[in-house]
Amino acid sequence: MNAPELVTVTVDGVEVHVEKGAGLVETALAAGIEIPVFCYEPRLGAPVGACRMCLCEVEGMPKMQTACTMTATDGMIVRSALTSPKAAEAQDSTLEFILVNHPLDCPVCDKGGECPLQDLTFRYGPGSSRMFFAKRTFEKPIPVSPTIALDRERCILCYRCTRFSETVAEDMQLVALNRGSQSVIATFEDEPYVAPFSGNVIELCPVGALTSTQYRFEARPWEIQNVPTVCGMCPVGCNVAATTREGKVKRILSRNHPEIDDGWLCDKGRFAFSHVYASDRVTEARRRRGAQAYDALSWDEAIDEAEELVRNAGTHIVTALSGSETVEQAYTLARLLRVGLGAHSAVMPEVENARLLDGHRRPLSSIRDAQVVVILGDEPVAERAPIVDLWLRAARRDGAEILYELDEEKVRGAERAILIWSGPDGETELAAHAERLDVWGAFYLPRTPNARGVCEAWSAASDEEEPEAPVPVRLLVISGDEALVNPDVRDLAREAEHVLAFAMFERQARGLVDLLLPATSYLEREGTYVNLEGRLQRLRPAVMPPAPDELEWIAKLGERFEVDIPPYAASVFEELSAQIYDGLPFAAIGEQAPLPSRSPPPAEPASPTKKPRQAKVSGLRLVTYRPLFSGPAVERVPELQFQRPAPELELSQDDARSRGIENGAEIEASSNGTSVRLRARVSRKLARGTVRAAEEHVRGLLHDVEVKRA
Amino acid sequence: MTELYDEIQQFRARYPDSRSAVMPALRAAQERYGWLSPGAFREVAEALDLTPAYCKGIATFYDMYHLEPVGRHSVEVCTNLACALVGAQRVVAAFEHELGVAAGETTEDGSVTFRTIECAGGCGYAPVVVVDGRYREPVVPEDVAALVEELRAEA
Amino acid sequence: MPKRDLLLAHANERDLTQLGEYRAVGGYEPLEKARAMEPDELIDELVASTLRGRGGAGFPTGRKASLVDRSGARPSYLVVNADESEPGAFKDREIMRRNPHLLIEGCLIVARAILSRNVFIYIRGEYVTEYEILQRAVDDAQADGLFGDVDIVVHRGAGAYICGEETALLDSLEGKRGQPRPRPPFPPIQGLYMSPTQINNVQTIATIPPIVRMGASEFLKIGPENSPGTALFSLSGNVVNPGNYELELGSTLRELIFDVGGGVPGGREIKAIIPGGSSVPILTPDQLDTPMDYDSIAAAGSFFGSAAVMVIDERCCMVQLALRAEKFYMHESCGKCTPCREGTRWLVQILEKIEDGRGEYADLDLLDDVGSRILGRSLCALGDFAVWSVQSYLRKFRAEFEEHIELGRCPFGGESSIEGILAPSDQHHRPIATVPA
Ligand SMILES: Cc1cc2nc3c(=O)[nH]c(=O)nc-3n(C[C@H](O)[C@H](O)[C@H](O)COP(=O)(O)O)c2cc1C
Ligand code: SF4
Ligand code: FES
Repeated sequence: MNAPELVTVTVDGVEVHVEKGAGLVETALAAGIEIPVFCYEPRLGAPVGACRMCLCEVEGMPKMQTACTMTATDGMIVRSALTSPKAAEAQDSTLEFILVNHPLDCPVCDKGGECPLQDLTFRYGPGSSRMFFAKRTFEKPIPVSPTIALDRERCILCYRCTRFSETVAEDMQLVALNRGSQSVIATFEDEPYVAPFSGNVIELCPVGALTSTQYRFEARPWEIQNVPTVCGMCPVGCNVAATTREGKVKRILSRNHPEIDDGWLCDKGRFAFSHVYASDRVTEARRRRGAQAYDALSWDEAIDEAEELVRNAGTHIVTALSGSETVEQAYTLARLLRVGLGAHSAVMPEVENARLLDGHRRPLSSIRDAQVVVILGDEPVAERAPIVDLWLRAARRDGAEILYELDEEKVRGAERAILIWSGPDGETELAAHAERLDVWGAFYLPRTPNARGVCEAWSAASDEEEPEAPVPVRLLVISGDEALVNPDVRDLAREAEHVLAFAMFERQARGLVDLLLPATSYLEREGTYVNLEGRLQRLRPAVMPPAPDELEWIAKLGERFEVDIPPYAASVFEELSAQIYDGLPFAAIGEQAPLPSRSPPPAEPASPTKKPRQAKVSGLRLVTYRPLFSGPAVERVPELQFQRPAPELELSQDDARSRGIENGAEIEASSNGTSVRLRARVSRKLARGTVRAAEEHVRGLLHDVEVKRA
Repeated sequence: MTELYDEIQQFRARYPDSRSAVMPALRAAQERYGWLSPGAFREVAEALDLTPAYCKGIATFYDMYHLEPVGRHSVEVCTNLACALVGAQRVVAAFEHELGVAAGETTEDGSVTFRTIECAGGCGYAPVVVVDGRYREPVVPEDVAALVEELRAEA
Repeated sequence: MPKRDLLLAHANERDLTQLGEYRAVGGYEPLEKARAMEPDELIDELVASTLRGRGGAGFPTGRKASLVDRSGARPSYLVVNADESEPGAFKDREIMRRNPHLLIEGCLIVARAILSRNVFIYIRGEYVTEYEILQRAVDDAQADGLFGDVDIVVHRGAGAYICGEETALLDSLEGKRGQPRPRPPFPPIQGLYMSPTQINNVQTIATIPPIVRMGASEFLKIGPENSPGTALFSLSGNVVNPGNYELELGSTLRELIFDVGGGVPGGREIKAIIPGGSSVPILTPDQLDTPMDYDSIAAAGSFFGSAAVMVIDERCCMVQLALRAEKFYMHESCGKCTPCREGTRWLVQILEKIEDGRGEYADLDLLDDVGSRILGRSLCALGDFAVWSVQSYLRKFRAEFEEHIELGRCPFGGESSIEGILAPSDQHHRPIATVPA
């Protein structure tokens, strides 16, 4: 890409040099001048010039122009409301028109205090109203979905929300109906807005028209604190701010990191925070009593109990990691168990070799600039790493070709080709392809938020080879709820003599875990995560956990075994950083973490693995995925239940046709004597011979299934 | 697949971008069902890879798509300036009297939906009345009774 | 007053909707001539003709064509604006109904000039008969091999005045809600499907075959210097002989209304004249001698617009007229930009109050001021139209508005010629109970 051409523009007498084609709003900003806007939001695609807030005079043009739709050309002379009485008058009248039918119910509006309409009216608006007629009224609030409410009277018809739905998320579910002054924002009939990114419209809305049902009437802006942290719900690691009031999390907002999330969040990241307040939250240590109950233990009792379990197990300990621990938690756990006790055996989250792709590292945002993107692996991208799906859509809109099979010729032919693996066990294979085809970038989408950080920290603690699992397993240490609900881990737990678990929620521990230690949510943690790009990011505790956190427990337990472990994330990090993060100080991670530069591929070159991944099947190959809206946190958020996927089986057009199955038809999938009834979804993205369903809907089926009309 | 689906595929083929077919598709659905029910929106959306919400957003923008069931016949009187200047309001009154409904309503027996419309492009032949999509120009109040009679006979 | 037939020549003697008949009077000869010319030459010819668009804005057609990006980086399109919805206008309908091949021939000529292989004719949805005639003519011409590698698609609107605005038309044609786009970029650079697009009114396109036939130099001799050619004037309102009349530009309002139109029925006085469709400022009887061409009407304080002349006689209440006009604009405002969406509704509310006899003097100033606050600030010209009309009624007939306030009622006492007029926006909707099968 060539160096951009610079042009000179004069805004209100201030001369600035900007790239040719830069927007006038940005150009003015470069000159230190704010041109107020409502509808303008560059992330929503081409500007629409609807609200008319940004009218300016442009020399040589007879009519006033909207700054948001104009681009910088050399010699352009612009006068904003600052120096042009005409533009100032236009601004004043735009606000007057906006307010003519606005209810002015700021005292009871959630947006009050952080509302662009309030702010701009305060700064530029008319001081009094000349509207003495009946204002437009609507039924309100309308539930757009269980998570979003719509107050149409407040809507200023900026079309930000509908543009998001149509051109960013491309779900086309939130639309404008009617024409002129009768226009309203709506979903189809009374159906809810069901889409993985719906919540972004709340943040986009410049007034209090679209609000979060979770946040409605919960807080005033001057009572809240916004804590900058990172989302811990998936491996993307969107930058977020957790809004807290009186020590409780009230909502999650985006904190735009342009390379990672572009300011968007998925609904899981946005709405699932209330899992922190689940009724079965483990708020103190608990000892199993009988099959279903627990007794609370004091801190000292619990440490004694834990010490005993560990001591009795010797090296016959297996540790099951979640992949959602912080780097520091994983490292201290490894220090305790591996270094202190010589118990090296672990069940790791799925990442083969965290560093394999570092030679192809790029920011996620570069997907948008790719010419060809190949998606390998069997799972839908949005279910594993939702924001990546938005980057892919952006790429497609910009003309990129998105392929679901590796077309080597196309990849080689493109200057900017990106490979993505969305599914388990693909890192080695992906790295081999990336190496061989010399691609522009490659991403592996792990299943868990910090799989990579956890694996790296666990291995950094000791050089000892990981042995086979000990027989018998005297103690299984389960680290986190994700591991606790993992069926493989649960099988292991049933075989183990004793089970100790760090968990947030009791329900899934019942009958399985002997000693339950209270775990924390990512919203309660200090520490670091490594996202799927390989970017180290910092979590900050938005609220206090209900009990001492994992680090404190581990450090305390360490004392009993004379392993010196600091209970503070910062100190743990410094120790680890010397080994694997080039000595980066904890405090230097910052609020918007940079992407580390590319590092050469590891010494042993990746060779294409010959895994028996695709065993021969006689019927259709069933691949399953874990839906975005599932898991221990989502299960505990009532407002999110409507987002859980319907029981559907995706099948390719060919397979559907040959079986006489139409989209939406009732079907039966069976294998080995078990059968499940589902609805068919005919997909163009699936290869012939493969069918796909959410794990939770095909329990009991094997990977070789037959499908027929029910 | 339904015939409507196939008809819509033909519209699609006429345009460089399939979304352009949404207006003819909605028109075809309306001709088939009389109005655009939620089910009709679903069918059109399915045939064009759009969503029902999107299609409804389009339909509600225009005046000629019916979002509610309508009568078997439609009578529309232009009441814009040119027609008004030569007595359209008296034509409206005559229809309201003969049909027994106000503008915007459908007769009890479901035979006629009566409404007023904006300029129909017949100002030189005013007042313009549009019966089942065909212009009658001009129509004076005295013509109305016979016209209604004609519609009732066909109903 | 010079009558001259370019658009409707022979339409009275023959059924020109028949391809054979159209050919018999020399139809499609200009196309042959155009196809023998280089595209650049054709554009030069159009530029030389100084033909101005008949859709309302009066932009020079040749210049528009010369702006179309013909580099071939993207396909170019020709779009014909047959949405004719301006109150008072019914001229395009006449052309499509009686001389559809003239329009088709014009399309094929312009397509050659701008190297377009796709032509879309966007015809308003209400024109059912006209659509049928036009579609048959398109089919006939295509079957006759006249199209070459060009394709013409007739796209039907569905009832929205705003879709006559060129960029709203493009969005509508792309299957979106028909809302205007910001300009720049202008359609010749980035129009339909993000590609270079020429958009012209039906009558503009229909004037092109005669220009090619006679040559630009001959065409320039018709009508006044700055506005050559003829126009179909749509005459309506309180006149004895309303209808479409093709006259040279520069004919006066008086000639049209009295000599051709036979004057006002019953010998009543003219109170006002709308010279270019409901959207332009109104003129008064003292301006009857204004020549109807772009510059002269502009000098008189209005616009040539779509050459739709509406005559209003003394019996009409100007507040009622303003209210009815404003209800139209409110109903047709697309809802995209703030001043037009909110302003038209507000203007209607103020006018209702005045007509109801509840008005105060301050309301007149408010009416004028709210109008001024919309002017020049809306996304497209609909906002201007909504103000030019009623603001001119207020300013030219202020006494009548004041009388409403003075008396606390309409001074016409129920005797205004448009008393009781209903607008579609007044309708309440009562769906029928049973759903037809
Ligand atoms: C609200 C509005 C309605 C319009 N309606 C029409 C119309 O019905 N027909 C038309 O030809 N032009 C209409 N125009 C003008 C078009 O935007 C455009 O200027 C014209 O089609 C260009 O064609 P021309 O250069 O041949 O005149 C309208 C403009 C506005 C702002
Ligand atoms: S709901 Fe909010 S975002 Fe949507 S159009 Fe209205 S003001 Fe804009
Ligand atoms: S910000 Fe420019 S028009 Fe809305």
